Amino acid sequence: MMDALRIEPAKAFEEMMTTQRKLAAALDTLRQVEDVDFGVTAKDAIYREDKLVVYRFRGEKKPTARVPILIVYALVNRPYMVDLQDDRSLVKNLLARGEDVYLIDWGYPDGADRWLTLDDYINGYIDRSVDAVARHCGVDRINLLGICQGGAFSLCYAATHGEKLKNLITMVTPVDFHTPENMLSHWVQDMDVDLFVDTLGNVPADLMNQGYLMLKPVRLNQQKYIGLVDILDDKAELENFLRMEKWIFDSPDQAGEAFRQFIKDFYQGNKLVNGGLKIGPNEVHLGDIDMPVLNIFAEQDHLVPPSASRVLGEHVGTDDYTAVAFRGGHIGIYVSGRAQREVPSAIHDWLAARS
Amino acid sequence: MGDASNPDWTSQWQAAARPWLDAWKDFAQGAAAPAAPARPEGFEQWARLFTGAGPQGETIERMVDAAKNQAAFMQSMLGALSAAPGGGTNWAEALRGSLAKPAMFDHPMAQVWRDGGEQARQFLARFMRVPDMPATPAAATDAWGAMFDLPAFGPMREHQERYQRSGRAWLEYRKQLDRYNKLMLDAAQRGFAHFERKLADREQPGRQIESLRALYDLWVDAAEEGYAEVALSPEFRAAYGDLVNAQMRVRAQMQGEVERMSRELGMPTRSEVNSIGQRLQALRREVRADGTAAQLAGEVAALRRQVADLKAAQAAASRATVTQAQRADDEADAAQETVLRKEASPRKRPSPARAERKPAAKTARRDAPASAAGDFASRIGKYAESSLGASRSKPAKKAAATKGTAAAKGKAAARGKAAVTKGKAAPGKRASRRTDKGNA
Repeated sequence: MMDALRIEPAKAFEEMMTTQRKLAAALDTLRQVEDVDFGVTAKDAIYREDKLVVYRFRGEKKPTARVPILIVYALVNRPYMVDLQDDRSLVKNLLARGEDVYLIDWGYPDGADRWLTLDDYINGYIDRSVDAVARHCGVDRINLLGICQGGAFSLCYAATHGEKLKNLITMVTPVDFHTPENMLSHWVQDMDVDLFVDTLGNVPADLMNQGYLMLKPVRLNQQKYIGLVDILDDKAELENFLRMEKWIFDSPDQAGEAFRQFIKDFYQGNKLVNGGLKIGPNEVHLGDIDMPVLNIFAEQDHLVPPSASRVLGEHVGTDDYTAVAFRGGHIGIYVSGRAQREVPSAIHDWLAARS
Repeated sequence: MGDASNPDWTSQWQAAARPWLDAWKDFAQGAAAPAAPARPEGFEQWARLFTGAGPQGETIERMVDAAKNQAAFMQSMLGALSAAPGGGTNWAEALRGSLAKPAMFDHPMAQVWRDGGEQARQFLARFMRVPDMPATPAAATDAWGAMFDLPAFGPMREHQERYQRSGRAWLEYRKQLDRYNKLMLDAAQRGFAHFERKLADREQPGRQIESLRALYDLWVDAAEEGYAEVALSPEFRAAYGDLVNAQMRVRAQMQGEVERMSRELGMPTRSEVNSIGQRLQALRREVRADGTAAQLAGEVAALRRQVADLKAAQAAASRATVTQAQRADDEADAAQETVLRKEASPRKRPSPARAERKPAAKTARRDAPASAAGDFASRIGKYAESSLGASRSKPAKKAAATKGTAAAKGKAAARGKAAVTKGKAAPGKRASRRTDKGNA
């Protein structure tokens, strides 16, 4: 085993000294860096309800697409990940291709939102947002783009309100919650969710974040910050890092009742696949989804394993189903250089073929 | 917060890290490393200066934590290398002792569990009036376990039972935390086993590790693999669920005590706020549902109006056909009169147009009951008699129909049609009655 090491003491010492020097300088630099901004594309609020706001993004030119896209993001993180910065923006790239892009910002739930259920979110907020966008554009049907948990919500919505949708796009969306490598799902199987929500009320964002960090504890709590030392002399890279850091930890609390139902029905019951899912008065059958579906998943996704997403094609009722496997992770699918080249054009080209 | 205005951070950093770096320097120069090399606590002391310093304070804290852990890893390597300069088993054992510790997974979540447990212990100890409640589950069980199972009686029995439940919840939580920590130790040991295997794979020339950073990255990969094996195991799933549930029970007990105390002090409680929130949300749903019902009712009413208009328009269209047929009938009657006259004076031939209308009149008559059949002469006679009487009022009726149509023109098409229908309905009905009458 010792033969694997060819570390010369003098070289090791120099390496340590270099690291320490960088670290000292870095900490001084970090101290002087102001808070980073995010969400680069101009937008207008077109609909408000409680803490929810539906925005329409303003592109540099008028949209050429006749049917707008409404992005439904997850509740567990802030949606500005899709418009993080100038050169890393799914929104900006879609606008540049002529799409008309809207987004639901869920806001930050507080105690007043403790009793919001999935019925309130899906048959209420999403439905009214869809209506608002359709009204705003003067169309009967719109395109829905659901991301992660928002993708699961979009599937439920499409299965029960299909007449309002022209096309459905899902990104890194869990469908089968019981695939073997799904660590989050594994952990919650023996949790008493009723006790959990009854005790906590709304689920604190910090608790959620710590759960995500536990998926890869050494890499996410240590190695990532060691890597930071290497980029500290590059202001742009440092700001990229800090922007991502802000997004990771700027999370909303989760409305208690919605969380309870999501864990019980999706994570524990796997009802999206097994059947028996009911959102308010509506039974959800993925087989009822008959509009064209584009499913984009990430091959190295540690939060939503690709196996959880790629099964969608086996369950939806449509004959027009397309799957795109992206070479990257759950976050990289929005912010990596590859994502900027591949994802917006995949969405635009697919929609254009169905306009 | 430290003195954020102090510009000489680098010097302070170097001073803080000096003992640790000196140990490395000595080792680099060939000297044996000290048995207990200086530890990198300097990082922590120095980092305290930055607490709350600027918007990136949290990132700084995380980075310093990571640097500290990396330094600890390097320290372990240094210690292991110096302990066994010849390599072999001693080196591996020394390294195992340093690295295969659950502390490698000492992520914030574990801290949350521990902190939560300690807070709960202090809280419960105060409420249960057992200030010296032991911190470890084994000791607490020995000291207080029996007390938590004693039967309660007397005026304070309800309180006592509640305290006992709290005590049992805390003991259970401590037990589950220990179980979880053992699994973390297992993960660390598995991680080290992976580390050994990965190192063995790198023994060939060209694949050897030449930098501390590469070694650290290899260790991280190994640690994550070991952790993932445990975290995806059925044992972990059960232990994790039990730990979360146990902590929630402790929290629920604590909340219960706070709630009881708040009630005694006349303060609003969590249950009351929950209750109000729940009712408010239910009310909002009802209001929305009512709004939706009203909207649907409006839509249904509008649809009903449209259906009524469509029916009326359809009826008008069919009556117009009947009227046309009637007109054709009338013309046929007139023609028949002419024929009768012609029979008396057959000098003029009927025009082709009239001749064409005849079949229409016949068609209209086809609908007449079979009882109308009879000999041609008597039928013609009866028909001529009734037609002569009816035809006298026709110009006035036609004018009324025309008026109705004209009046409707400026209005909506559907309503206009209805007006026309209205204007034409009377003659149609009369004609029908008349036909029946005539056929009777």
